[in-house]
Amino acid sequence: MPPEHNGTITNRLRRLRFENSEMTQLALAEQVGVTRQTIIALEAGKYVPSLLLAFRLARAFGVGVEDVFDYAVSATKASKEKGSEDAIE
Amino acid sequence: MTATQKQAWFNLGVVAVTVVTVLALIPLIGRGALGGFGLLGALGFSPLFFCHHGRDVVDDERDRAIRRKALIVAHLVFWLSFVGACMSLPAFYGWNGSVPVMMLQWSVFGAFAMLTGVMSVATLVMYEMGGGDAA
Repeated sequence: MPPEHNGTITNRLRRLRFENSEMTQLALAEQVGVTRQTIIALEAGKYVPSLLLAFRLARAFGVGVEDVFDYAVSATKASKEKGSEDAIE
Repeated sequence: MTATQKQAWFNLGVVAVTVVTVLALIPLIGRGALGGFGLLGALGFSPLFFCHHGRDVVDDERDRAIRRKALIVAHLVFWLSFVGACMSLPAFYGWNGSVPVMMLQWSVFGAFAMLTGVMSVATLVMYEMGGGDAA
């Protein structure tokens, strides 16, 4: 049976923008080649970008992808995984 | 508002005007009201929303993903309607009846208008929801 994918992806785009000389959404959008509306949707957590855009965003700030995006596994799945790990131990 | 949203609003407006015009013409000129669907030709102007202005980005992966999903929704609605219409034909024309040629002509333009209208609405709703993911 295939594994469940209940995780969520969060990002630190807004914080990174402000840490980088208060970069505007438009400036970031132009740098990575998307519309400003896409940056707004990303910051609001309403849109999960492609891997290519994720790398472009990370490069725009000079950091790694995992410094921009974070994958959080949902509580149900996490507890299941912990339970199976405990069973193995 | 992105170029895709502008295009969706424009297309929705064209479809709405066309449907209203056709419905208004039916009592006046009967089957000649079919000509009202010619207004759908205005949809050909919608690509103008994607003209570049300087170095502005007018279309990106999120827009393309939303358009792709909206098209799937529109096709789904079209096929459900098409199958439903075909299955219900015996109720109107009987098992040995025949479908008028006029109805086929209306259904071609009607289906196109419905496909465009549903795709536009789905596009606008998806933008409100954020667009989901790039997949």
